[in-house]
Amino acid sequence: MHEEALLRDLRRKIRELAELERGEEISRVSLWVGALSHVTEEMLRSRWPTVVEGTPAQRAQLDVEVSEDLDDPRAGGIVLVKVSVRAPGGSRPGDASDPRAQEGPPP
Amino acid sequence: MTDRTISVDYLARVEGEGALRVRIHDRSVDAVELAIFEPPRYFEAFLRGRSYLEAPDITARICGICPVAYQMSACHAMERGLGLSIAPEVRALRRLLYCGEWIESHALHVFLLHLPDFFGVPDAIHLAKGHREVVERGLALKRVGNELMTVLGGREIHPINIRVGGFYRTPAREELHALRPRLANALRLAEETVRLCASLPFPDVENDYEFVSLRHPDEYPMNEGEVVSNRGLRIPPARYDEEFRELQVPYSHALHSVRRGGGSYLVGPLARYALNRDRLGPCAATIVREVGLEPVVRNPFRSVIVRAVEMVYACEEALRIIDGYRPPERPYVEASGALASDDCVAITEAPRGMLYHRYRLDATGTIQEARIVAPTSQNQKRIEEDVRKVVERSIDLETEPLTMACEQAIRNHDPCISCATHFLSLDLVRD
Repeated sequence: MHEEALLRDLRRKIRELAELERGEEISRVSLWVGALSHVTEEMLRSRWPTVVEGTPAQRAQLDVEVSEDLDDPRAGGIVLVKVSVRAPGGSRPGDASDPRAQEGPPP
Repeated sequence: MTDRTISVDYLARVEGEGALRVRIHDRSVDAVELAIFEPPRYFEAFLRGRSYLEAPDITARICGICPVAYQMSACHAMERGLGLSIAPEVRALRRLLYCGEWIESHALHVFLLHLPDFFGVPDAIHLAKGHREVVERGLALKRVGNELMTVLGGREIHPINIRVGGFYRTPAREELHALRPRLANALRLAEETVRLCASLPFPDVENDYEFVSLRHPDEYPMNEGEVVSNRGLRIPPARYDEEFRELQVPYSHALHSVRRGGGSYLVGPLARYALNRDRLGPCAATIVREVGLEPVVRNPFRSVIVRAVEMVYACEEALRIIDGYRPPERPYVEASGALASDDCVAITEAPRGMLYHRYRLDATGTIQEARIVAPTSQNQKRIEEDVRKVVERSIDLETEPLTMACEQAIRNHDPCISCATHFLSLDLVRD
């Protein structure tokens, strides 16, 4: 299926990034979903655990921005916008040392 | 210590899952082989050992575009085998749910996959540049289909509210009536779509299809009916295996279906329309007359019109069901007593055509055997034959335009196999 193929490619890219970063844990992944991508945020979030299972991003927080811009040249796809790599000894979302834990859960 | 953020800006791509191998010798086409690489997913195997109640939710995962079709075929198969009778109100709600899926799936196919071919652009993004209103119309229709699926199914993809015997929860009248204004607008948009599609230029092609679909005594078929064809076939769904069989081909992971003792056949909108046009509702019948659509459409490129007509039908049928809706006394019925059955069989009409499910249950209701024949595999051989005709007609074209022509021939039928979008690799050998 189209969306499965897109997700498989994202998984491949995340693994590639993790290798470049010498296997350090990825703590946050930001995706941009095009208006003509045939993919919904709900579907993406429900499939995400299987996309990142076994990768250094399997505990990453997922941020999704869904675009309604038909004129965007990337409207047919999903863009991996940025990833955050955990620094050695860094905190995980929800850990007591995680500054976001003081601010409550992400919106 | 803080995390380090890396900007990536990587656009995910779809790797090719389909390839077309064409061998041409002395200006004649020796072989056309459509190969699908998508790996087998073994759904039939891992249904074994699971409860009959799990079949609708497990099989829904087979397709992200038509999960309702898998849920409907699984529910009807189990209910037939277990002798469960469904309340008329539940039956109407299922039909309404199917209307949502037809609208959503047809809008995806017509606007995002098929129409760009007729406007001479590579995809919907380019179509939006010159014809923004057309793409916006498609997205509006798709949204209405998704809304119907969300209200009835709990969510728009892989609904979670459907079960053997009915629904976990049925909606209140007000919830359905709230959809009415958007559905009425969708009906108008679908009618405009038929007019637009009928005005397009089409290649002069006619294929001699054996059309196969369900036929119901009173309705345009969705959940029930006999299996009929334009060559005299008329059987109950339980006799499907006597008339059809699946074949493995060495060059593809996708199975091919054929008539026993015969050849390819075609399921889907062209077949449903050819065999059931007298069952269309008044709005669909009126627009068919207005645009002068022929009673049997044998030009596969013109399937874009028929899909638009079926969107009109699905919108008007959804409005009819909502206007007459009364919540059932109970949202579902349950099976009781011994659950053993060799006879759990059903066919329903997925947007792309007939979807066959057959199960065998033991006394505890555990699935012992499962068999699923999707419309994609039923059409696979016929699609190959269509592509062969395209190659024969266009034998002198360079590789790039020939690839485009072959892709278009595939998109006439099926948006669900990966090669329906633009990444077919063409392996052309000219001896």
